[in-house]
Amino acid sequence: MSIGLDSTLLVALQHADSQFPSGGFAFSQGLEASSQLSARLGPCNFDDFLETQLRHRWAAADRVALARAHRLAGDLAKLAELDFEVEASTFVEGLRAGSRRNGVALLTTHSRIGTTGAGAYRALIAEGKALGHLAVVQGLLWRQLGLDEPTAVAMGGYQAAASLATAAVRLGLVGAIQSQALLGKALTIIAEVSPAPIADDEPIRSFTPLAEIAVALHGASGQRLFSN
Amino acid sequence: MNMQPDVSVSSSSRVGAARVGIGGPVGSGKTALIERLIPAFAKRGVSLAIVTNDLVTAEDAERIRRSGLIDPARVSAVEAGACPHTVIREDPTLNIAAADELEARFPDVELILIESGGDNLASTFSLDLVDWWMFVIDVAGGDDIPRKNGPGVLKCDLLVVNKTDLAPHVGVDLEQMERDAAKARAGRPMVLTNCRAGQGIDAIVDQILASVLFR
Repeated sequence: MSIGLDSTLLVALQHADSQFPSGGFAFSQGLEASSQLSARLGPCNFDDFLETQLRHRWAAADRVALARAHRLAGDLAKLAELDFEVEASTFVEGLRAGSRRNGVALLTTHSRIGTTGAGAYRALIAEGKALGHLAVVQGLLWRQLGLDEPTAVAMGGYQAAASLATAAVRLGLVGAIQSQALLGKALTIIAEVSPAPIADDEPIRSFTPLAEIAVALHGASGQRLFSN
Repeated sequence: MNMQPDVSVSSSSRVGAARVGIGGPVGSGKTALIERLIPAFAKRGVSLAIVTNDLVTAEDAERIRRSGLIDPARVSAVEAGACPHTVIREDPTLNIAAADELEARFPDVELILIESGGDNLASTFSLDLVDWWMFVIDVAGGDDIPRKNGPGVLKCDLLVVNKTDLAPHVGVDLEQMERDAAKARAGRPMVLTNCRAGQGIDAIVDQILASVLFR
């Protein structure tokens, strides 16, 4: 019996893999600071942090920006507008800068391997006409690779959760095996929140005040392992 | 403005400043070496920029910026996300982006030195990131380091054995260490340095000029 393979699934696996160079390992989205500042900001439990990030940030901010970018189908001018909307919607500089650096790093890889649109969008960023926020760049590139919107959203959600789990392991908050149990739980949250409709002009919003305060305080810290 | 994406932007070839990696364990003297290399390259008329990968603090970048040896704007710090191997090998994109940005801001730059965060003997540089790289070990770390066959020692383009002045104070037979390193590297290039006194620096500059900048 032959087994039919969907080649787009293989493409999705390649690009969702943490081995794909994107710079994502350098960011903890406030997890490091939250764990360091627990005496001031309250206990930091990774399980709760992960769920909060997915429900109250990723679902209404990154997922929305990614899906809207995907729908723009490589229209770089409109992607640049969306990029500035993400910038204006992200309250804390540490998170804004992290998202831009992460997006530019992902573009760097795609530019070198010749993904359509990567070099042109990178040039716009160099000219100051776009910013390179991660979700926007993901939407642009994954659409160019032929991945549909639900797949791209799933990849974005998986990467958001997996990179937090990796950060938690590096910070010693959870073990590598425990992190996979928590990641499995995170996948159910991603699947639960992903079907929520996204209008073409859906606002980008998030509400994670404690993590944002932690990132703001982290920015002034001279000692840190992660960029945010 | 033409906003249509390029159809076939490529790829692996790159035109720009040469990129040289400097790796090695914590405390081996990578930053001290850079502080010596900056004026040495200036004397040879080489326009320079630097990327540092600080693991926990921005201390290395700040030390170089405040040294007065180079325009601080030409020094860029990349935070390594707790993983100094990853940022120079498995996922060097943040470093590539930092080097690209320095190139864009300073079009005259001919050479970018990329200092890794300190790590053990297993770290190596991706050739996606650098054209050529050196690995710095120090005499005080132990004369058995070359015999441990760490990938950093074996695979680098140039092995730098630093702090040679400390050999008599830490019970190291420097000549034996040199023989062991030469044997481990099968005769590939090696330089002995004492960065505090500036010894061996010109030999490194000569190597880079010849092997990387083709002068």
